[in-house]
Amino acid sequence: MSLWQKLACVILALVLCGSVAANWLAPAGYAKQYREATDAPPSRAHWLGTDEMGRDRFARVLYGTRISLLLAPAAALLSTLMAALIGGLAGYLGGIWARMAMAVTDLFLSLPWLFLLITARALMPLNVSPLISVMVTFMLLGLLGWTTAARVLCTTAASLRGSDFVRQAQAAGLPAQRLFWVHVVPNLKPVLYAQFWISIPVFILSEANLGILGLGVAEPMPSWGSLLKELEGLVSIGEEPWKFVPLILLVVVVTSFQVLLSKQEEMAA
Amino acid sequence: MRRHKSGFEQMTNTCGTAISVAMLCLGFLLGHAVAQGGGELRFCLRTEPKTFDPLKVEDDASASIRYLTGGVLVRVNRQTQDLEPGLAVSWKVSKDGRQISFRLRSGILFSDGTPFSAEDVAYTVQQLMDPALHSPTGDAFRSGTGNVETNVVSPSQIVITFPAQVAGLDRLFDQVAILSQRSSKKEMAVLGPFMVADYKPGSSVLLKRNPNYWKTDEQGRKLPYLDSIHLDIQPNRDVELLRFKRGELDLINSLDSEYFDKLAATSPQVVHDAGASLDSEQLWFNEVAKSPIPNYKKNWFRSASFRRAISEAINREDLSRVVFHGHAQPAVGPFSPANKFWFNSKLKPQPYSSDAALKALQDEGFRMENGTLKDKDGNEVVFSIITNSGNKYRERMAVLIQDDLQKIGIRVNVVTLDFPSLIERMTQTFDYEAIILGLTNVDLDPNGEMNVWLSSSENHQWNPQQKAPETAWEAEIDRLMRAQASSSDPKKRKEAFDRVQEIVVEQEPFIFLINKNALSAVSAAVQGAAPMILSPQTFWNAERLFVGTK
Amino acid sequence: MSSDASQNQILLSAHFSVRYAGKPPVLRGVQLEIQRGEVLGLVGQSGSGKSTLAMAILGLLDKKRSPAEGTIRFEDIDLLQLSERQLRALRGRSIALVLQSPLSSLNPALKIRTQFKEAWRAHASGTSADCADAIRNSLQGVSLPSDDEFLRKYPSQMSVGQAQRVLIAMAVMHRPALLIADEATSALDVITQSEILALFRELNHSTGMAILYISHDLASVAGICDRIAILHQGEIVECGTTNQIFTNPQHEYTQRLMAAIPRLMHANAPLHAKTATAQ
Repeated sequence: MSLWQKLACVILALVLCGSVAANWLAPAGYAKQYREATDAPPSRAHWLGTDEMGRDRFARVLYGTRISLLLAPAAALLSTLMAALIGGLAGYLGGIWARMAMAVTDLFLSLPWLFLLITARALMPLNVSPLISVMVTFMLLGLLGWTTAARVLCTTAASLRGSDFVRQAQAAGLPAQRLFWVHVVPNLKPVLYAQFWISIPVFILSEANLGILGLGVAEPMPSWGSLLKELEGLVSIGEEPWKFVPLILLVVVVTSFQVLLSKQEEMAA
Repeated sequence: MRRHKSGFEQMTNTCGTAISVAMLCLGFLLGHAVAQGGGELRFCLRTEPKTFDPLKVEDDASASIRYLTGGVLVRVNRQTQDLEPGLAVSWKVSKDGRQISFRLRSGILFSDGTPFSAEDVAYTVQQLMDPALHSPTGDAFRSGTGNVETNVVSPSQIVITFPAQVAGLDRLFDQVAILSQRSSKKEMAVLGPFMVADYKPGSSVLLKRNPNYWKTDEQGRKLPYLDSIHLDIQPNRDVELLRFKRGELDLINSLDSEYFDKLAATSPQVVHDAGASLDSEQLWFNEVAKSPIPNYKKNWFRSASFRRAISEAINREDLSRVVFHGHAQPAVGPFSPANKFWFNSKLKPQPYSSDAALKALQDEGFRMENGTLKDKDGNEVVFSIITNSGNKYRERMAVLIQDDLQKIGIRVNVVTLDFPSLIERMTQTFDYEAIILGLTNVDLDPNGEMNVWLSSSENHQWNPQQKAPETAWEAEIDRLMRAQASSSDPKKRKEAFDRVQEIVVEQEPFIFLINKNALSAVSAAVQGAAPMILSPQTFWNAERLFVGTK
Repeated sequence: MSSDASQNQILLSAHFSVRYAGKPPVLRGVQLEIQRGEVLGLVGQSGSGKSTLAMAILGLLDKKRSPAEGTIRFEDIDLLQLSERQLRALRGRSIALVLQSPLSSLNPALKIRTQFKEAWRAHASGTSADCADAIRNSLQGVSLPSDDEFLRKYPSQMSVGQAQRVLIAMAVMHRPALLIADEATSALDVITQSEILALFRELNHSTGMAILYISHDLASVAGICDRIAILHQGEIVECGTTNQIFTNPQHEYTQRLMAAIPRLMHANAPLHAKTATAQ
């Protein structure tokens, strides 16, 4: 394990522990409003200051991490699996399957998503708890975010289908689904990893943006997305640097994951 | 007229900029050569003006241009809120409120040189009331069926008779810019202080001084002082603010409180807080009988004591302090205290008390169990508040209210929706529980609010289009609103509407939260500015503004 | 071709054609017999249809685009009548395949152990200890280490010769009656090539499995095959014992092949040397 990997490990462990231990670490609940100290700079009472409604930013970052760090990777995993199944399987099976899958992908890419999401919101009851709302949103993102990766996977899988080792494994009598999962999917890994890691930050930000459609995390619950929204309209970086903590955290966490896993890949290869 | 507004389409907008210092130009006016040097004023229109025809104005940008270019018979003074002579030197409304007679100024020319006379007023009023034209301005005058009669007594005298009584008739003429009957330039021949000189769609409108404008200042100098007004069409508020800071714009109307504070931090002398405006923000519950929400919730929402308790549990001081940084006042009732004549001064700000609210609810059979409020049938008191997404002030108010109500054991889910979805739920499906929205008020007269208060109206938002009033108090409001509308005695009208305000505060169909302050910015280069709460805030006295020296 | 050998001695008897839709047939009425325990060489130049023949026997041709017509009887069962499921039960267990390029024939993303496990699981059930035993036996059979360190390797961490041995070990894991080696030594250097040929020979002797040894190079098959079939433009033009083919080729094409051997042997080496110096 290299120095970088160790560092990444430590960072991830810290972030994870911090979010899990939010109840003990945070000076207050994420919804507690200190109305006499709104938009305050960092102080001993509020390490990262308070937001517009006087809520402790440190507490919100900890609780927000818990939500986003759990749900964004879950959604990314979902979309990656969908991409692998739809793109990879279609490419591997070839012929009509590949054509059908690509047609579905094209259709998916051309759908007016905004309206579909508005419909999705309309179908959901208004009285859902913030947690359910954010979970549904990440699930939707996972179910929708697979298309680009599916295209790449389809082509990659199609080329794998004609490869010697698949032929060799076929001749060894492996059943079709074993061939797919054991011999094809591992070779799609680079694309799948890319899809997974790209999806996480994209989903975190999308979740925040879906707030305008009444999806996503609902007040007062924080998520990285809703915390990042605070940065909208911030004029200069210098004035209130503590507001950038959620952004830095997002970048650091995603990078750490990448360092950790890409190094493992290299070693494996 | 009251309109619901979204975060996107904000109200009247106009911000001005006067760039350079004095540009001198010589004008030959009525035989006198007078040097004018009022300079150019620059500000923004936030949308494309839809029309230059004053009778067809619907949008704010067009209304701004109408205000600057149109000559009107009478004008509401934006400072005193009183009616003042314009093209008419005097006027009289008949006892039955159907007829108004004007005595007009003589020797006045349109901007193109066409003389003005009573025939032009007759022509304008006929056009205004022509059903084929669908004039939005004319709608306020349409109180009964039949034709309007215009009787030109002499070139300087006219009597106009409407088919039915029109409440607040004289003040309505503040919106009626007089057209020329004979000018070949049609609506481009104007009687106001400025005239449209150039229009670049999507980019800008240039107004030049009307050399034939009739008004002079106290020293006998011809108005307006300004040579021109440059209006940039710019929907982006950030860009507007930036350009103002760079000195490329002179005025910003209806500033956000956040922008106001940003500007105030660097240049406190340019920002103006004119105090509470007519605009209100309110919360209301869905009281529609056929709405698809559970019956037990309908029972809560249709109970006045429930609504009163919610109202009492909301800390309005905190709303204005935390959300608007103090640039808002706790609302008293349906009319803002800023409406000098019509506000019912007997009404006092609602006190905030969680304890009293909880006690009132307990008296109604609600009970607190482990920090959760339940109704007498054991249903947990949970409801959702929807508001339009993108309006952070409403979102923040909702979050504070959520927290306030948590204190009396009520769980609130805040949901932000895109504006079309919100309107659909509010007006079509009635699939909502509570809403926070605001109303923009451009009219001082309660007549402009008939469509909100009459129970049969579409805009009677909490329970619209009732065939017959469902409650006694709504029936009473209907009666009072009709009574004030059919009276031409201001005192009687005021009495009726005062009572309406009292009933609304008692019943809380709308829980009025705050009145936003009228915030604006005027650059130091502009002289003579006195921003008011009434639209158009900063340039209501445009004819007396100047940039640099006179 | 002898038809008087007793039926139960005949492992595979084929008579079939393969054509791609709208094109001239790739294989035309190919007749082929393989006896139990026999090593049959199949020689032909590139494009003569050798690989198609191998795929046809394994039932790995695309049934829609390139159907095989005729019969391929293997242990008295017509392979062309079998369902995919039945064919799969035979592949790797009764008929195994070793392909030309060892490195591309192993999955680059999987450890050797995983690839062995998969091959074993395709036809066997048992505990992981059984599986480990089977893997160890197969590896020992091809003189490869069977320790943990070796099994943890990825294909890219092995030499070509090792990789080819791994492939062969996997192919013979289930003791197939027939091993098809499609150009199995062509990609190897001369020394490794002779080692692998020796391995085939040894496996043939020790397990009694028949080998269909496909190659473009007549010389390389001479040392291992009992009989040789010559494939030319989709047809088997001649088939006989190795001795017969080398000493008395009947068909004109076989004669040309024979004639090419010494010339190549003489011409090749100096030619390469020349180009090397010229560069």
